Amino acid sequence: MTLDTAIRLTEILLGIAFAQQSIEHIKLSSNKQGLFIIRLLLAVLLVIGFHTIWVACLLLVLGLIILQRFQGPYNGGADRMGLLILCCLCLAHFSPAPRWQEIAFGYLALQLILSYFISGWVKIVNRDWRSGRALSDVFQFSAYPVSERLRLWVNYPHLLFFMSWAVMTFELLFAFSLLSSVSLGIALIIATIFHFVNACLFGLNRFFWIWISAYPSILWFQHRIIYT
Amino acid sequence: MRIKLKVFSNLLHTLKLLLPALFPSWNFFDVIAPSPRIQFTLLNKEDDSPLEWHEFRPRPVHVSLVQMLKRLFWNPKWNESLFMLSCAERLIEKYTLHSEDEILNHITKELKNTPLNGILVDATYLQFRLIVLQRKNDQLYEEPMFLSRTQLLSTQNFL
Repeated sequence: MTLDTAIRLTEILLGIAFAQQSIEHIKLSSNKQGLFIIRLLLAVLLVIGFHTIWVACLLLVLGLIILQRFQGPYNGGADRMGLLILCCLCLAHFSPAPRWQEIAFGYLALQLILSYFISGWVKIVNRDWRSGRALSDVFQFSAYPVSERLRLWVNYPHLLFFMSWAVMTFELLFAFSLLSSVSLGIALIIATIFHFVNACLFGLNRFFWIWISAYPSILWFQHRIIYT
Repeated sequence: MRIKLKVFSNLLHTLKLLLPALFPSWNFFDVIAPSPRIQFTLLNKEDDSPLEWHEFRPRPVHVSLVQMLKRLFWNPKWNESLFMLSCAERLIEKYTLHSEDEILNHITKELKNTPLNGILVDATYLQFRLIVLQRKNDQLYEEPMFLSRTQLLSTQNFL
């Protein structure tokens, strides 16, 4: 995948993710509705490829205004990933030389790899995660399970133990998938399923769309680092 | 001069909010922290003692697979609840008027749209509290952590 293709694909996927978020906000009819109508329009322009350099910059400025209005991210990590992608896109577009453009977009790929690796590392060094207790706590009393019936999963400690190790193993080994395009493809399919399950069980639908929009960067990165 | 200082201070604050996005920590669920719940009460007078606390947006007993799939595309209420959770966590960490206002305003908006309106019309004040759930050894404990100010409800909020 060429750098230009990867950047364009990222813009399309990010535009779709932002449009989805903006429509949700508009529906909630808050006093910040105006900001999200503008964001929706800019997201559509990003998807269709209309002056994407300036649209990405405007989306970044709007993102900062929204960050200020909510005094932080509205949806934690998902919003932060959205801002990171926007910053990397803007830097890549305004880079004076192709090398700097690659560094800016490569930073996004690196952060994507770290997002899995660090998440896995902080879990595996925690005894509660290794024993399955932490995931049991998530289901038992955290605010994330989408229904009361899901809390009953706490009665299946062997399942939660297996799930804990499956998550930690995947997150820690994700970086090694860069060794070949086949392994990276498989890893990205597993990652998509992982975010899909999180969206179903914990209602984290914004993470699903935003993380997927960063995938073209790692596809380009792998090709650039391994084959060139 | 004062305006310039305020603009500079706002810019600095926004930059401070942006930095975790540029250099993320990615330590999702590293520890399962005590989990806050928002409960509210409705009062007739500002100095009334609360009699009954209601959970803000209690989760449903069951969500079907089809609903889960729909929520992948359309989940505004849940995402708003997650933002309320963030505000609650911020309040527990360090009081901010913004977080208290956001929670009060969202509860008011929610009351306006609930079928309970009929029995709530008489209430004139709203107050919320934060209860924190945590596990100590094998037991779950609830601990009240924050009590908000009482906010006057306009009758227009409910009618």
